[in-house]
Amino acid sequence: MERFLVDGFKPQQLSTFALTLYKYTATVDGKTILVDFWDTAGQERFQSMHASYYHKAHACIMVFDVQRKVTYKNLSNWYKELREFRPQIPCIVVANKIDADVKATQKSFNFPRKLNLPLYFVSAADGTNVVKLFSDAIKLAVAYKRNSEDFMDEVLKELENFELETKEEDSPAEETSQGEPVCLSPGNG
Amino acid sequence: MSYVAQKCGVQLQPPSIVLIYEDRSKNNVRKRIMPIRNFSKFSDCSRAAEQLKNNPRHKTYLEGVSLEQLKRLHHLLRCHLQGQTLSQSLKQVEQKEIIDPEEDLNKLNDEELGQRKRIMDELFEKNRKRKDDPDFIYNVEVEFPQDKELEACEWDTETDDEF
Ligand SMILES: Nc1nc2c(ncn2[C@@H]2O[C@H](COP(=O)(O)OP(=O)(O)OP(=O)(O)O)[C@@H](O)[C@H]2O)c(=O)[nH]1
Ligand SMILES: [Mg+2]
Repeated sequence: MERFLVDGFKPQQLSTFALTLYKYTATVDGKTILVDFWDTAGQERFQSMHASYYHKAHACIMVFDVQRKVTYKNLSNWYKELREFRPQIPCIVVANKIDADVKATQKSFNFPRKLNLPLYFVSAADGTNVVKLFSDAIKLAVAYKRNSEDFMDEVLKELENFELETKEEDSPAEETSQGEPVCLSPGNG
Repeated sequence: MSYVAQKCGVQLQPPSIVLIYEDRSKNNVRKRIMPIRNFSKFSDCSRAAEQLKNNPRHKTYLEGVSLEQLKRLHHLLRCHLQGQTLSQSLKQVEQKEIIDPEEDLNKLNDEELGQRKRIMDELFEKNRKRKDDPDFIYNVEVEFPQDKELEACEWDTETDDEF
């Protein structure tokens, strides 16, 4: 996260939620958007917080450590949990620490392949593919949000028509949410 | 203390820890060779290092040498006994394979997790490119195609249909 933001980062620590929040302004298709990155903790004692991690997320980045098998094996549990809360959001898998083991980049990994999830080979240390990862995640989040909003608009229109036909009342106002929370699942496994 | 450690290293044959120290009372520099006995490629390096540090004959000389360094030196000896080349051994010791790749760090408490992270931080810092390095590039993109014929990751083999 910090490698992507380099110096423009002033994270907000929410220790009760084991969460670090980073705000970022991105430009996608000429439009300025506000992105919230949620860097979540992996330790098991924060299990009860997980529901709030996924809440309103528009994309998810799941990281494993190419030097530690257990982090890769744990991905399937994180993924199952993610899908309980957010069945549709884009999810990216990251193989991190390739600076420590370049050979990992020459291997094929079943987990992302079978689930058809994009896999990025990254080094947070030397910076390989960090910027690409986050820019792509933002694009995916924006596209997802746009599509789900289009969908919501249609649902609302249907509702309006329905209401006009039945009663003559104001259509409900939609709550506007700010930013694109991007949920970062931790690499400790 | 009249013995001041200056350098501490290993001698592979016979396996020994070598200490260069200054003897303040005599005002000279001396070398002490401490043979490591009953040490095999299966030995526990942490325990062997502790035993040496507490050895009544050596402990006054080793006061200025950290247990961590003694562990590292024992690791070097063990790598040698396992038939590794010196450069392989050094690389392994540098990465301090004390990090057990099977251990789930999410199950540890803060202190234990912090300790593991400090070990991993060393390599991170070593490989880290900083913003003020002259060759720093913000966006480093490297393509690693996943579609071509690749060797299957050995982590997948046993539990292929798990996902
Ligand atoms: N060599 C190397 N080390 C890394 C890299 N990224 C992280 N590390 C190290 O790996 C350890 C764990 O990294 P963290 O970023 O704390 O992992 P995390 O998944 O956020 O962990 P939690 O938030 O505790 O769940 C640290 O010691 C880092 O220094 C990398 O790209 N290369
Ligand atoms: Mg973290």
